Order: sequence, then structure tokens, then C-alpha cells
Amino acid sequence: MQNLQVAPVSRSRIISNMPKPYTPEACHQYQTQFDAEVQTVCQQRNAGAIGLKMSKAVMVGDLYVGKTSLINRFCKNVFDRDYKATIGVDFEIERFEILGIPFNFQIWDTAGQEKFKCIASAYYRGAQVIITAFDLGDISTLENTRRWVQDALKENEPDTCSIFLVGTKKDTLSEAELERTEQDAVRLAIDLQAEYWSVSAKTGENVKEFFFRVASLAFEQSMKKELEKNRGNTAQIGVGNLIQLDGNSSDKRENETQLNMNCC
Amino acid sequence: MANSLGFQGDGGSVLSMEHVRSLTDLQDLKEAYERLCAEEKDVESELLTLLGQQTIVEKKMLALQRMGPNLQLIEGDAQQLSGMITFTCNLAENVSSKVRQLDLAKSRLYQAIQRADDILDLKFCMDGVQTAMKNEDYEQAAAHIHRYLCLDKSVIELSRQGKEGNIIEANLHHLQEAEQHLKVVVSEKFDAATKSGDLPQVERFFKIFPLLGLHEEGISKFSGYLCKQVAKKAEENLQLALGTEGGERRAALIFADTLTLLFEGIARIVETHQPILETYYGPGRLYMLIKHLQAECDRQVEKVVDKFVQHRDYHRKFQQVQSCMMRGSSTDKIEPRDLDPILSEVTLMSARTELYLRFIKRRVVSDFEVGDSMATEEVKQEHLQNLDKLIKHCLLSCSVQELIGYYITMEEFYMRESVNKAVAMDTCERGQLISSMVDDVFYIVKKCIGRALSSSSIDCLCAMINLSTTMLESDFREVLCNKLRMGFPATTFQDIQRGVTSAVNLMQSSLQQGKFDTKGIESNDEAKMSFLVSLNNVEVCSENIMTLKKNLENDCNKMFSQGLGGEQAKAKIDSCLSDMASVSNKFKDLLQEGLGELNSTAVKPQVKPWINLFLSVSHNIEEEEFNDYEANDPWVQQFIVNLEQLMAEFKAGLSSVIYENLTSLLTSLIAMELEKVVLKSTFSRLGGLQFDKELRSLIAYLTTVTTWTIRDKFARLTQMATILNLERVTEILDYWGPNSGPLTWRLTPAEVRQVLALRIDFRSEDIKRLRL
Repeated sequence: MQNLQVAPVSRSRIISNMPKPYTPEACHQYQTQFDAEVQTVCQQRNAGAIGLKMSKAVMVGDLYVGKTSLINRFCKNVFDRDYKATIGVDFEIERFEILGIPFNFQIWDTAGQEKFKCIASAYYRGAQVIITAFDLGDISTLENTRRWVQDALKENEPDTCSIFLVGTKKDTLSEAELERTEQDAVRLAIDLQAEYWSVSAKTGENVKEFFFRVASLAFEQSMKKELEKNRGNTAQIGVGNLIQLDGNSSDKRENETQLNMNCC
Repeated sequence: MANSLGFQGDGGSVLSMEHVRSLTDLQDLKEAYERLCAEEKDVESELLTLLGQQTIVEKKMLALQRMGPNLQLIEGDAQQLSGMITFTCNLAENVSSKVRQLDLAKSRLYQAIQRADDILDLKFCMDGVQTAMKNEDYEQAAAHIHRYLCLDKSVIELSRQGKEGNIIEANLHHLQEAEQHLKVVVSEKFDAATKSGDLPQVERFFKIFPLLGLHEEGISKFSGYLCKQVAKKAEENLQLALGTEGGERRAALIFADTLTLLFEGIARIVETHQPILETYYGPGRLYMLIKHLQAECDRQVEKVVDKFVQHRDYHRKFQQVQSCMMRGSSTDKIEPRDLDPILSEVTLMSARTELYLRFIKRRVVSDFEVGDSMATEEVKQEHLQNLDKLIKHCLLSCSVQELIGYYITMEEFYMRESVNKAVAMDTCERGQLISSMVDDVFYIVKKCIGRALSSSSIDCLCAMINLSTTMLESDFREVLCNKLRMGFPATTFQDIQRGVTSAVNLMQSSLQQGKFDTKGIESNDEAKMSFLVSLNNVEVCSENIMTLKKNLENDCNKMFSQGLGGEQAKAKIDSCLSDMASVSNKFKDLLQEGLGELNSTAVKPQVKPWINLFLSVSHNIEEEEFNDYEANDPWVQQFIVNLEQLMAEFKAGLSSVIYENLTSLLTSLIAMELEKVVLKSTFSRLGGLQFDKELRSLIAYLTTVTTWTIRDKFARLTQMATILNLERVTEILDYWGPNSGPLTWRLTPAEVRQVLALRIDFRSEDIKRLRL
């Protein structure tokens, strides 16, 4: 772990183009490229002047839908046939390099069992990403995702989280069954303002694509947020330094003072 | 040869024939000709040197001819030598092949002896086993069987084919029978010894199993015996625990203690029996024993936890807490203090469990290290993974985790309720900068997180850190925010309006919270103090959070250094703690907000009219008025006195850091407002001087009340004063541009002109003509 922190990012975790969504019907955005402004900023600050970027994702959903399996497939590329309930909270840090910027993506894997929920819910706060999983073969787990998302959103400030709805165990369904379930899932995803994905941890289908998409969107989001913050700051500093002399409009001056004070 | 001497053919010449032919220009031709001439000269000189070497070459040829006959002699000698070598080689090969044969013969001989030994051993074993069995000397019998089992199977096979085949076959049959018999007998005897609880006999037979190749059976039987012991002891302890009176010293922790006794019992068993196991079964077998023991441990833990839940009403309490948290106030409200004992007991149970599991892990890992020292990396990994799975998924871990889950909710309730109480009971002594709730709240948070820490469970600690962070960030910050929103009591008409809106805000927010702050705004003074105290509170909170974070970091490092948790646990804690630190910044933002509020409602409305008075003092003055001003200061002295009075109140009520901040805001405000009024005034030469004097006194005063330099903030004004003090318009050029020296102008050329225009005695044409 310690070695990992200094080691360069694995070649298989480098992203330079925005990955595609699973279905255009339920996704966060259609752009095939990263935000232009984010791209320029990343190019300028390639040298590493930028601090380490980090985002936090929490994985929620009913028990036995395969949350841990999904994460293990992505992070360790393994699949364990035996079911072992997650106890408490598991935690993985996946290191990416997106547009040349190192990006640490925390994945908090919570327990789906009701009896561990008290402890798991303490970990929802401060998440930028909520991944809610359901079993494509068990429609009741899809229904429950609504409640999981609500619970997770409750612990976070409004409009700070992006939500992903993931159907797991894709390999267990026939084409026709899958299509039917996906229709329901997409409907729910739109309702939850979530992006929809179908994956299989067993075969690995779409797993990497999914996490790359999540990480990329989270990265873009956090860069945009930082840009906004910086923009706010520079505006304040600019106003503070220039006292305009032509101003008869004292209202305007008042505003400037206000800003000036905030930045001190 | 030719090339090495530097000779160049046609193609090697600097200029090719084709090139020469293609030349048409005279200039080019001349050039080519010159180059060819130069080349010719080079070639000539080269030829001369070559010819000079002729004599040396001839001498060498002569020497070579003389050597001829000698070479023939050497050839003859060499042939002779080769013949000799071939002969020697053959000889050596002959000898070595004989040695090889001898070697083979020797090893065969050894094998024969070995086999003879083995056969003798076999015979000896056959005889020995029977006598030993007759004498009930099972160790001896087992030793013989062990010897037999160690023998090479092919040896036995070969012995059968020998002359005495039949006899041996019969003996072998006997031996196998004896083996089976011994296995049965040892098993029986072991079971009997187990039943009678005869430890020496149990250990005696336990040692025999590995000799018969029955490692697993031996361990499983032995652990069965140990489990029974554990169960018996645990049963006793549990009964004892259930029988304790409420008044006894450790009654509140009795289930944790029972659990501790169980763990200690198992640990002692491991301590005592590990040496026997290692000696007779070899290293790497401890895992098997632990696996059996853990199953029993799980069974006993289940019983203890069941009784704990039952006796302490754990689930009912949890549900009560949950309904309290959901509905706010319910009929059967729980007093948070009543939860103290049960919370302590659960964390102690968790801590003991972690300690026990760590002990088990350490023991098994070091046993594997010895046992697997020769094994492949894969096997090692598999063994460790099995161990991890056993520890992580044993019923003990699960039930404790479940208890901790309920604990977290109760602890959260405890924290929230206590914090609410602290907020409700908030008081501030006169003369104190902060009110009681800040210390109280942080005491509570520290206590709750400390208790979570004492559980030794990383998940539990992280969860509690997160919950505390949430509480501080939203609930408690909201409380302080509301207090600040009440605003600093206003004096002017405009601000009374503000006051009304903040009162409405306050009403709304208190209604939302479901309680009403009865204190309200009783008097202006009290409200003022309350605002200032709240500002101080916010600042102290932001500091306290950082202190809390640092202390927790230290505590965690201590915990990690004791071997608890791995890299992953560290990363988890780091993530949660950095989240906590970010809340400190939110409090800092709130402080700035409050200061801004204070500045705009309390400072600005007061200071602005004072500065505006500057306008009523004419600066278009002659000698007489100037002297009069000297005697009776028209503005600045009063202004300073006013400022002093205004700030005295804040200085007494605010912490030094905040006061610093406020004075900084104040000086900025003064600088800006003064600039405005100056630009609205007109000045004579002496008026400019007067302004300069006034500005100097003001700056001198402000320097005494702030710790950092304020000259920077007043740079523009000072420069304006300089301009207003000029004798002539053109004098500005002595200070401007290349003549500015160390002075950095903060005024733009347009502004300089504007200020110059304030002097009534400066002609506007002169100012316009100025080249800046």
C-alpha cells in the first residue's frame, strides 16, 4: 500500500477520453469528450502543481446482489463464487490518471444486511458518487434501490452526489429477460436521475467500462467544482484591489465591500 | 592493400567524370580544375612516401625467407606432441570408466545394505509390534508402525519377491492388522480418556496419532476434548455471571468479563498445547486446531451474547433510541446518561474480541511461517487467506459487529441528545469570551469518539468520526449560525429593519427546530454580547476540531503501532479524519460571514457618518483658519475618540484573533470611505497640508490598534495627500515615472489628474497639459 502511493499509476488505469455511457436513455451526459475548460486546466497543470484529486463513492443495495463481487472484479480482477456477506464496511482506493492528473477514487463497500445498516449508514456522508446495485434476476431488489438512494442522499448535501444504478449478474439472464428488466430499470433510473448500467462481475462484462465512466464523471465534476471555487476567489480578489473612483453608485460599492470582506 | 594505402580509383576521386563533363560554366570549370590539381598533388606526395618505404619492405621479406627451414622443424615436433596427447587421453578414459563401474557397484552395495536393513527393520517391527501390543506399550507399537510406514513401499514389494516371500507376506499381513488394530485401540483409549477427563492419558494418545499418520484425526479428536473443556468452563462462567448481584463492583461489565474469561481460556489452551502440537505434529498445524476451537468459541459467544441482549434489554433499548431519533420527542424518552453503562460494556466486548482475534491471528501466522517456509507462494497465500476468512466470518466477528451496529446508533443518540442539552443549557459568564456549550459539546464529542476508539474496531471508530463530523457540520453549526443570524443590534433606522428580518428568520428557524429560544433578545446589550460570544464560539470550534483531529491521529497511530488494523484501516481513518478537518474550514467561513455581518451592521453605519463629517470641514482655507484648526481640531481627534469607543466594546468582547480580523476590516473600510470624501472635497495649498496632518494622526492611531502594518491599506490616501501638498502642478513629475524611486504609485494617471483637480489653485489647463 505504501509502495503503491509512490508508484506510478498502473497503465490500465489511465483515461484520456470520456468513456461512453451504457445507454443514452438514462445517463448523466452525452459528451464524448471531457469538458473543454477542464481539459485546458489539466494540460496547463500537468506538472503536478495541482493537489491530489480525490472522490468518494459509496456502494449500496440489497444483500446478495453482488456489490462486493463487482468491486473485487474491478479492483482485484477476481471472482469468488462463494457468497460471503460483507461485515461492516470495506474500502478500496483505486488510483487513476485522468487527463494526466492523478486521481484517487475511494470506493466504500457497505453491507447490505439489515443488521449492519446502522454502521454502514454512518459512511454515506461526503460521497460524490452513490452507486446503487440490484440483481437483474430479482426484481424486488430493483424496487429497493429507491430506498437505498434516499437513505444515502439524506446524509449528503443536496445536489452534491451523482447517482448510478447498476444491474448485476447480467450473465444469468436471457436476452429477452434482460431487455424487459432493463426497461424497468431505465425508467427508475430516470426517475432517480441516475445513470443506468448492466454488468456481470462473473464474466467481467462492462465492469471496467462502468467504473471508468464513474471515475471520469466524478473527476470532471470535482474539477469543475474547483474551477468554480477558484473563479469565485479571483473575482473577489480583483474587486478588492481595484477601488473604482468614478462610482456615484454607492450600491455597487457596497457590494464590492461585501466581497472584499469575505475574502479577507 | 590498395585501399589501405589511400589509393583512390576513378570513382574515388573528389570529382567524378560525369560531373566534370556536365560542367559548362567557366567559373565552375576553373574550380574543378583547381580541385583536381590539388588532388594530384596529394596523390603525388602519397606515392612518394610509399616509394620511400620500399627498402623496409625488402628487409622484411629477407627475414621471412630465413625463417623457412625453422618452420619445418617445428611442424615435426608438433606432430609428435599430438600423438602423445592422444595416447594419454585414451589411457585416462580407460581408467575413469573403471572408476565409474566401481562407483556403481558401491551404490548398489549400499542399496543392498539399506534393503537388508529395511527388511531387518520390518522383521523387527513385526516382532516388536506384537510384543508391544501385548504389553499395552502403545507408544512402542506406534513407533514400530511409524517405522513401517516410513519404509519405502518398493522395498516391501521387493522383499515379497525374495526367497522368504511367503513368510514375509504373512508377517506383513500381521503388521497391517496390527496397524488397524492399534488405530482402533488408540481411538478407543483416547475417547475413554476424554470421557474420564484424564489429561495425561489424553495427551499420551494425542501424541500417538501422528505416528500412525492420523494427524487430522488426532487434532480433531484432541480439539474435541479441548472444546468440551472450554464449553464446561464457559457454562460455569456464564452461570456465575447471571448470578451476580446488581450491586457488585463489575456488575455493569459482567458480560464483557464473561467474554473475556472465555477468550482467556482459549488463549491459555493455545499457549499450553501449542508446544505439544508443534513437537509431535510439526509446525503449520495450529490452524486446524484453532478452526475447531473457534467453532466452540462461536457457540459459547452466541450464548453469552444472547444472554447479554436479553438481560440488558439491548434490542428494546435500541428500538427505543431509534424511535426517539425518528420522531424527535417520544413518550418514553431515554435519558442519554442511562445508556452510558451499556455503551461501555459493548465497546469493552468489542475490544476484547479484537484483542483475542489478533492473538489468534498472530499465533497462526507465525506457525504458518515456520510450517510453510519451504512451500510455494501460492500455498502460503492460500493459507493466509483461509485464516483471514476464518477470522472475518466467524460467528464471533459477526455478532460483535452486529452489536456494534446497534451501539453506533445508540452512541449517536447519546451524542446528539447530550449536545442538544449542552446547547439548551448554554450560559456565558460575564467576562468569558466563549459560552459553556462549546466546551461541553467538544467534551461530549471527544467522549463519544473516545468510547468508539476503545472498542478497537476500526469500522466503529470511523463510523463515529463520521457521525460526529455530520453533527458538528450540520446541527451544531446551524445552532451557531442561527445565533449569528440574530444579528448585532442595530442603531440606525435601516438597521432596525434588518433587525426585524433577522428576528423573523430566528423565529422560523426555531420553529423548524421545534423549540423556541425563550431567552430571545431581552436587551440590546445582551444581544450584542450574545453575538460577540457566538463569533468567539465559532472560532474556538474551528480550532477545537483541528485539535480533536490531531489528537485522534495520535491515538490512531498508537493503536496502529500496537499492530491493530492494516494499511486499509489506516486509509479508512485518514479519509474520515480529513473529512473532519474540512469541517473546521466551514466554521472559519462562518466566522468570516459573521464578521462581515458585524462590520456592515455595527461598524459601517457608525463609521460612515463620522467620516462624512470630513465634508463639513472646509479644506479650502487660508493661514488664519489653518492656525485656528491647529488650536481646535475640527475633525480627526473626535473621529479617533469615536473609533476608540466603538472598538473598545469589541476588544473586550472578542478573542484577539477575531478582533484583529475586525480591525483589519475596519481599517479597510476607513481607507475606502475616506477616499470617497476626499474626492468630494476641494483643497487649497494649506487645506492639503491640513489633510496631510489629519491623515498622519489617523494612521498613527490605527497603527497602535493593529498588529500588522496598515500602511499598505492607506497607500493610496498617502499618495493623494502627497499630491494635494504639491507647490505646482508640474512638481508631480519629480515623483512620477522615472523619478518615483522606491515609491510605487497606486494611483492611475487619471486618478492623479482627478486629485490634482481637487486643488482649487491648480489650473485645469496645466493639469491637462501634464504628460504622465
